[in-house]
Amino acid sequence: MIGRALRHPSFVVGLLITLLVIGTGLLSLFWTPYDPGVMRIMNRLRPPSELNWLGTDQFGRDVFSMLMVGARNALLVGIVAVGIGVTIGVTLGMIAAHGEGSLLDEAIMRACDFTFAFPAVLTAILILTFLGPGVVNAIIAIGIFNIPVFARVARGAALQVMARDFIRAARAAGRTGFSIILRHILPNIAGLIIVQASVQFALAILAEAGLSYLGIGTQPPNPSWGRMLNDAQTFLAQAPLLAIFPGLAIAFSVLGFNLLGDGLRDLLDPKTKER
Amino acid sequence: MMKRQIFTAAKAAGAAGFLTLAAVLPSPVLAQQGNRDSVTLCQTLEPPILDPTGGAAAAIREITYDNIFETLIAFDSAGRTQPRLAASISSSDDGMVHTIKLRTGVTFHDGTPLTSADVKFSFERAMAPDSKNSQKWIFAPIGSIEMPDASTVVITLKSFAGDFIEGLAWADASIFSAKSADKAGTEPIGTGPYQFVRWNRGDRVILKRNDAYWGAKPAIANAIVRFIADPQAQVAALMAGDCDAHTNIGAPEAVAQLRANANLRVTIGRTEGETIVAMNNSKAPFNDPRVRQAISMAIDRAQVNEGAMSGFGTLIGTHFSPNHAAYLDLTGAVKFDPAAARKLLAEAGFPNGFSASLRLPPPSYAQRSGEVVAAMLAQIGIRVSIEPVQWAQWLERVYRQRDYDMTIVAHVEPLDINIYSREGYYFGYASDVLKDAIARTKSARTAEARNAAFQDAQRRISADHVNVYLFMLPKITVQKAGLKGMWANWPVPANPLGQLSWE
Repeated sequence: MIGRALRHPSFVVGLLITLLVIGTGLLSLFWTPYDPGVMRIMNRLRPPSELNWLGTDQFGRDVFSMLMVGARNALLVGIVAVGIGVTIGVTLGMIAAHGEGSLLDEAIMRACDFTFAFPAVLTAILILTFLGPGVVNAIIAIGIFNIPVFARVARGAALQVMARDFIRAARAAGRTGFSIILRHILPNIAGLIIVQASVQFALAILAEAGLSYLGIGTQPPNPSWGRMLNDAQTFLAQAPLLAIFPGLAIAFSVLGFNLLGDGLRDLLDPKTKER
Repeated sequence: MMKRQIFTAAKAAGAAGFLTLAAVLPSPVLAQQGNRDSVTLCQTLEPPILDPTGGAAAAIREITYDNIFETLIAFDSAGRTQPRLAASISSSDDGMVHTIKLRTGVTFHDGTPLTSADVKFSFERAMAPDSKNSQKWIFAPIGSIEMPDASTVVITLKSFAGDFIEGLAWADASIFSAKSADKAGTEPIGTGPYQFVRWNRGDRVILKRNDAYWGAKPAIANAIVRFIADPQAQVAALMAGDCDAHTNIGAPEAVAQLRANANLRVTIGRTEGETIVAMNNSKAPFNDPRVRQAISMAIDRAQVNEGAMSGFGTLIGTHFSPNHAAYLDLTGAVKFDPAAARKLLAEAGFPNGFSASLRLPPPSYAQRSGEVVAAMLAQIGIRVSIEPVQWAQWLERVYRQRDYDMTIVAHVEPLDINIYSREGYYFGYASDVLKDAIARTKSARTAEARNAAFQDAQRRISADHVNVYLFMLPKITVQKAGLKGMWANWPVPANPLGQLSWE
């Protein structure tokens, strides 16, 4: 398995990028070249140099340090928002699959359809207008749209597994629904959920960047890649590099998580294994 | 499904970014000098209504003052008052009775002639209990208004007010006709050199020359006032020639770039806009003067000016404009000293600081100053959460309901230190000493006595650390090189179109 994984190019590249982003985020907990919150206004809009590797922003803050902390922010949003989606979504999916065809199943699935009917980012903007701007509310808004994704994937996969013989065998052996789900179904659909999670993770990072770009996500002084991009837009003529770096960071990490997801899908999918 | 939708939104954002970029690139074909018979003026904010007596927004005055509506006397570009609808004003020796002779042959844009009844109507409308006029103090001293004939108004005061006549030059004392005043918010009809044509909400107000105007005929027949809030879009519109002038751009960092453009002219002027960090003096912990002083000491105002305004603002130490003779230089009254500020906070019972919110209205001066101020307050342990709000929310929650901890805003009216004596004003500040000083500015009979009273008021609010006084908002006017007559300074927020001409 490991040998096969290491020969899968998109998995390897995705894993490396993801580890780099996670490593940067973790490192920023202990060390950044400068405190990303401290402004040295006299040094503002400096180009990259050996003192400030990626230059300084309009308030003289170190862009490299801000990007490092921004990675942490992006990861936090991704983990919590996808976490909300996985826990609530998979639970709902299991409940629906367990009572397939029941009123409850119908209700859960129609609620998912209902949520899907709304454009995700637009609705997130609407939610943030009511709850007020801020990173916590952004996480909630993004998390809500992850729930139906996982509910559907989990229900569909669970139904497939349930039709297989070993589940019937477990039933015949007197196992109850809850224990079957926990022991047999969840382990069998875990791969699928992990693949979906890595894709949703990339989307969550993108959504947070988008909301922060619009000024309703992460609020200053907490660095966010999206907000850095928005700030940089104002200074495009004076310091074009300011927009390039956070843009690259967003593109790079979204690419990383997507490649990782693609790789995991190929590796965990029994069908591709046979090919 | 989810995936597709999010990517669509991201693509749209990308496309918008590209458009901005394209617009910033210098265009090889220079926008033609255009029609000499028209001018497109761009301003940052769109007014909520077009009636200057119905709201406090400076954007209303920018469009209407001396354009659509006129006052009895009006401020010129240097802040001196000049006659407008009043041909003469004579005052009794005790300053209690003012006889105003109106100009003859003045008509409103709908053809109604101006008479003394319109003046009486306008002032009584402003004084009415349900009036939304934001400067009711102008009319407060009025005892009675009489009309001996159609072109004479006699105003008798019930209490002496040294600033009564000057108050008549404010946009809040604009003259309306009883026939059209009700609709002034959306279809303003005045006596000014330009008349209202159309208002495309969110985009522009279109005006045309009033050919029946009583005064000098304006040089330019058609005028468009456009609203562009985003600083970068303002710069792009100027570079592309979409705006003949922008009244005050929000991107001071672009000044060097704009100056390098031979087709544009940039002037850095002054406004009367005291930009302050206002604190809710009626709410803990801001009701403790030591806390307010600590906040004041923790903010390096020169750095805020540099970071937010590229240094174009003028530092102040009180709520008073350096343009005025009564100005007292109190910039040194509070020294930047974070260590002493920490100590003071500890004395006030906050050794570990506290959390507070900073509600910021949309203009870039507020957003940028806010970010710098938040970073500086973090250094003394005050954890500031920044909450961006729209103007409507700001006016409702901060200004009317006083539901806030701190905010940043520029007070653009001239000589507006009297707001500190108002009951229920959003600062939540009350001081008998200050009220007495403001009362003396009104009762003073000589300029010296009046200025001395103004200086007492400045000392008081500075000593009480009511707010943090940052800087006077600059006026960064950018215009096409051939356009003449733009005001370089803003003694009042106004852009009289009648004074513009093409070279």
